[in-house]
Amino acid sequence: MDSTYFQYLDYAIYGSAVLVILIGLYAALVKKSLLKIVLGLSIMEAGVNLLFVALGYLKGGTAPIFSDGYDPSQVMVDPVPQALVLTAIVIGFGVTAVALSLVIRLWRHHHTLYIDEIKNLKW
Amino acid sequence: MVGTPVLFIAIPLLAAFLIPLFGMVWKESVRIVPGLVLTYLLILAVNLLNYVTVNGPIVETIAGWAPPFGINLVFNAFSGFLVTLMVFMGLMVWLYSYRFKSNVEYEPARKYFLLLMMLVTGSVGIVLTGDIFNMFVFIEIVGISGYALTAFYTGRDSAEASFKYLMMGSIASVLLLLAIMIIYSQLGTLNMADIASKMHLMDPKYKIASFILFVVALGIEAEIFPLNGWAPDAYSEAPGPVGAAFSGIVVKGAVYALIRFTYTIFDLSGSFHLILIIGLITLVVAEVAAIRQEKLKRMLAFSSIGQMGLVLVAFGIGTKEGVFAALFIMLNHAIIKPLLFFTGSYLVYHSKKKKISDLDGIGKLAPFTSVLFALGAFAIVGLPPFAGFWGKLSFLVAAANSDMILIIALILVVSVIEIVYYMRVVNRIFFFKRSSSLLARRPTPNAYIVMTVLGLAILLIGFYPDSVFGYLHNAANSLFDKSQYIHSVLTATIQ
Amino acid sequence: MKKVLVILLLAVVGFYISETFFDIGFGNSHFVNNEVIKPVKDTYLQQTVQELKVANTVTSIVVNFRGFDTLGEVTVLFLSVTALGSILYKRRHHVGDRSVLFSASSIVTAGSKLLFPAIVLLGTYVFIHGHLSPGGGFQGGVIIATGFLLMLLAYENYSVSHTNLAIVESLAGVTFAGVGLLGFVYGEQGTFLENFLPSGVLNDLFSGGVIPIIYIAVGFKVAAELTGVIYTVLNEKGEQNG
Repeated sequence: MDSTYFQYLDYAIYGSAVLVILIGLYAALVKKSLLKIVLGLSIMEAGVNLLFVALGYLKGGTAPIFSDGYDPSQVMVDPVPQALVLTAIVIGFGVTAVALSLVIRLWRHHHTLYIDEIKNLKW
Repeated sequence: MVGTPVLFIAIPLLAAFLIPLFGMVWKESVRIVPGLVLTYLLILAVNLLNYVTVNGPIVETIAGWAPPFGINLVFNAFSGFLVTLMVFMGLMVWLYSYRFKSNVEYEPARKYFLLLMMLVTGSVGIVLTGDIFNMFVFIEIVGISGYALTAFYTGRDSAEASFKYLMMGSIASVLLLLAIMIIYSQLGTLNMADIASKMHLMDPKYKIASFILFVVALGIEAEIFPLNGWAPDAYSEAPGPVGAAFSGIVVKGAVYALIRFTYTIFDLSGSFHLILIIGLITLVVAEVAAIRQEKLKRMLAFSSIGQMGLVLVAFGIGTKEGVFAALFIMLNHAIIKPLLFFTGSYLVYHSKKKKISDLDGIGKLAPFTSVLFALGAFAIVGLPPFAGFWGKLSFLVAAANSDMILIIALILVVSVIEIVYYMRVVNRIFFFKRSSSLLARRPTPNAYIVMTVLGLAILLIGFYPDSVFGYLHNAANSLFDKSQYIHSVLTATIQ
Repeated sequence: MKKVLVILLLAVVGFYISETFFDIGFGNSHFVNNEVIKPVKDTYLQQTVQELKVANTVTSIVVNFRGFDTLGEVTVLFLSVTALGSILYKRRHHVGDRSVLFSASSIVTAGSKLLFPAIVLLGTYVFIHGHLSPGGGFQGGVIIATGFLLMLLAYENYSVSHTNLAIVESLAGVTFAGVGLLGFVYGEQGTFLENFLPSGVLNDLFSGGVIPIIYIAVGFKVAAELTGVIYTVLNEKGEQNG
């Protein structure tokens, strides 16, 4: 019983993370409002971070912290993806901030958020 | 030794954090401090390059943990050569943009020089690092500086061009993270040399998946077709010196990353052919698009993309002469294209739409700038005795040695196309009648110095190419020698 | 038409990626042979107790083993604040110009005055104890910035001095880079970002050498930068608002 449930968990966790990435990518490519495009990029980055952290999980593992009275026989999950995702989240935040400031500037100039009306350069 | 490779990153970062504090005390310091930092980095780079030519690669460990547990920086003949080139061009761009537009106030100027310094630092970091996640972080540093610098001018469509760049850059980061994930989950390490030594243990389907993701992600940054939609807009909307920095510095870093992955880390059999085909398509499409351009900077941008395609074709040939030719073309491009951007910026300074047709007859009004532009144009299409000739010649020799006759024919056809659109511009500058309302902007003294130095460099390499042959041969050898790279990193003791 | 093409492309890409990851499997140790591959995480888990005496492995990885990445990340934050200022630059900058759609209700104003010190205290606790429990500089800095956001949303005339934020940011960054450079001089192996202070005892507040110092600097920096970002964006006065 344990193994079949774990199989579904396999598909569910990775599948939902990939689904989040695809939703974000779809929004970034298809939507016409600038704000929705920026939201799509942000969702896409969140999905990638989720996928990365999920990659580090080990069955029955616990957090990699050696507090007083930890059990030495307990398996610990992989700490490296967590550290990398920490960096990736902050970088994603920086890029989203710059994107939103560009949206503000475009709004100042054109007073609209729809790329159909802004298209001066060939998209 | 003047210093160690980590100072290439640490000193500019320290200066970047200190610039706001200095700016509160003395306003001119925000323009001067980046220049001082870049000068010191150039001295350091030349010093270290001479050291590794004699003594072998320098591997610097950080935080006291030997690779693969810590991050390490690798300064060997190949990366050292690229670093010196990038820092030199960074210094030229700084010198040129000192008081480029007279109406830029203190606040934007402070941010401009800081972002420029970080653009150069990030590219140097991409080349020096020996760890794939660290490379991702430096790509993001270059990306954010690029987005901000593209949107620097408020008047034109710069915010839109920057937004397009940002979107493509974000997608590139996501794909890069996916590729890093796949490699880490199989091999448990993030160090390039370690991955290279364990690559044979990885399942082929994972190798192919991550290689494709890497190529697409780095290809967006390196402007290969069809992922280069953002590049012409970004180059033409950015300030002139920034366009020079993009084409001379940033693109080189991305191409380096692509090549490092293909040559050293992955051992897939079809990877060289893939690079060759990608380069060929990019070259043809970019050069054909360049003919139809009306704005000067867009034409230069497409020409730059085409040259990078040529470099990828040369790398894709896979022999040592191919690598030598690719490095030679990269060296030429890094010097000539910024010169074209620099002179071109002054020639179209007063025109509203920056079109080529506005340049009619400007040769009489601004003779020095126009002559240098013509020099750059002659050099880049490969006319002897200028620098570009030797690069293209070594490429044709390498292709002939590998019996790739079709490629030679294609390159010659493309060269003819290049000659057409460059000579069109030169013709207009010198031999057309000028309209009476034409104005020419007089370059500042430091801009004169920069353009002269680059022009002299072109003439020097053209008439006396042996001066750079030594460095290029060492660089080509060091790229080709995969086992030496792995060995020198993994046995690095902490010095 | 374009939507159909995009959905098709995404379906292909999504199928390929999920296929790869399903093969990797969830929750198993993926490394084929631990002896041959020798993943780095085993060394990290081992050394963080033996050499560094830091309880939180993620902290020791972020600050010490891969400290160079953290330096780059801090730079990315710094650059994004600079980029924000550069992109949104206006010639005439009035101080105190804020676009407010409607003022906050009395619950919000009273509650945020009570909550603000508690939030700041929580954030400070999180980043000081980064090496002992889950948390650290980035997390603590974000919590503090949330407190400032609450105050800025509740009170229209609450202002934070831009100069102070810039000074805190720069000094924290200089501390980080400076501690790294001190590793050259004082470290026993003479490398950048080395841990040169004594390690202390595991699970003590003063353990881990320079790691808490760096993380505290990072906490200040992140708090100052995020507050600066929020403040810059909030001061965007629209032409139609009164």
